[in-house]
Amino acid sequence: MTLVESLSTGTGFWNPLAWLIAVLVAAVIVYLIRQRGESGYKKGTTQTVPFISGNPEPEKEMVHVRASNLYWGYLDALKGYYNFIVPAHTGVLNDYVLWYLGTTAALFVVVVFI
Amino acid sequence: MTLTAVVGEIILWTVIVSLFGLTAGLFLLGIDRKIAAHMQARIGPRLRQPFIDIRKLLVKENIIPENAIPWLFNLAPVIALVSSLVILLYIPLGSLHSPLGMYGDLILVMYLLTIPALATVAGGFASGSPYATVGAQREMVTMIGYEFPLAIVVIAIAWRLWAAGVAHPFLLSTIAGNPVWGLVGPLGIVGVVLLLIVLAAVTPAELSRIPFDTQEAETELAGGLLVEYSGRNLALFSLTTAVKTLVLGALIVAVFFPWNLSSFVAMPAGIAQLADLVFFLFKVVLVMSVIVTLVRVGMARFRINQVVTVYWHTFALIGLVGLLLLMADSALAGVL
Repeated sequence: MTLVESLSTGTGFWNPLAWLIAVLVAAVIVYLIRQRGESGYKKGTTQTVPFISGNPEPEKEMVHVRASNLYWGYLDALKGYYNFIVPAHTGVLNDYVLWYLGTTAALFVVVVFI
Repeated sequence: MTLTAVVGEIILWTVIVSLFGLTAGLFLLGIDRKIAAHMQARIGPRLRQPFIDIRKLLVKENIIPENAIPWLFNLAPVIALVSSLVILLYIPLGSLHSPLGMYGDLILVMYLLTIPALATVAGGFASGSPYATVGAQREMVTMIGYEFPLAIVVIAIAWRLWAAGVAHPFLLSTIAGNPVWGLVGPLGIVGVVLLLIVLAAVTPAELSRIPFDTQEAETELAGGLLVEYSGRNLALFSLTTAVKTLVLGALIVAVFFPWNLSSFVAMPAGIAQLADLVFFLFKVVLVMSVIVTLVRVGMARFRINQVVTVYWHTFALIGLVGLLLLMADSALAGVL
């Protein structure tokens, strides 16, 4: 008997209920492992100070990593692409309409003639 | 089978496969450390050293830093390990019954593989440490990097099966039951080798291993994502790495090296399953020794911006060439 019905996408499928049952059982196993571990520590001591290679912790604002840095490695690796695409966003509506027409024409050529 | 019997079977197999995954995963880590040590002319630790490490971590204090978000900090390692264990249930282990094999396909496994990584990211952000925050950001960028080449591999293999007229091409048991090597000609074999190289390159990043371990980077970030973790929380993350090592090894074996010993040597059914399981573990050890151990001993760490370039330019290109070769091979064989 199937466990209710699997969700099908045409070529792929999955059954969320079967997954959920497995997650719950695995969670119990992990909980039992975790419970075997030591839970205590010395609150309010230097144990709980963030590790910054032995240096005193600066003000929170000074070590806060901003969200603008979130994808630094990604943006830096693809800077050739971004150097092209960012200036193209001029804010001028005429430019956007031209891009729209050009892209539509290119798609038309691809879809109709190829 | 009744609904109760189906649920009972899933529960039973989840327990069995989870215990197997934890044990085999820790042994894989032990083997990895032993082989790496011998490559560096060292004796290295005993094979059971990862078990001793976990036991040690469980008796250590579980420190929660003062800047941390305690509930998320504690929940992240639990989610990471639970999700890793569940992925194992979808992957064939030798000729053994795959408990959830009929309830999800390779696309689902691809999505599920992101959950342990995202849990680690959440734990890193919840640590309240600049090192962990930078590590979490790097993990996200690395994920963006390797998901594209990984998707190319999955789609290329499934497409070739579909072109050969195989039903349910994304089902892992279908992929394991129809080795792609047997479906292609010489050109296609070159394509499959290229796809294998791409999947081999994705594996160290999935496991945060050199050369794609920028998110932990002991020499720069002092452990990065895991810098503030200790005691039982760190033990759970270590177990996650162990289980994921088995998961990735099992996935590569299922897609590229699915042959079982019982297919070549006649033996009774009970012994055949055991022999296939041992042979499966042997293949996993062999595969992981080459693509994880050998690579991490022989290479240095990539910088985070190099990681994206390597995946999006080099390995995505290799993957696409592999896909094109498979398509060309199919066209030459007249099945396209």
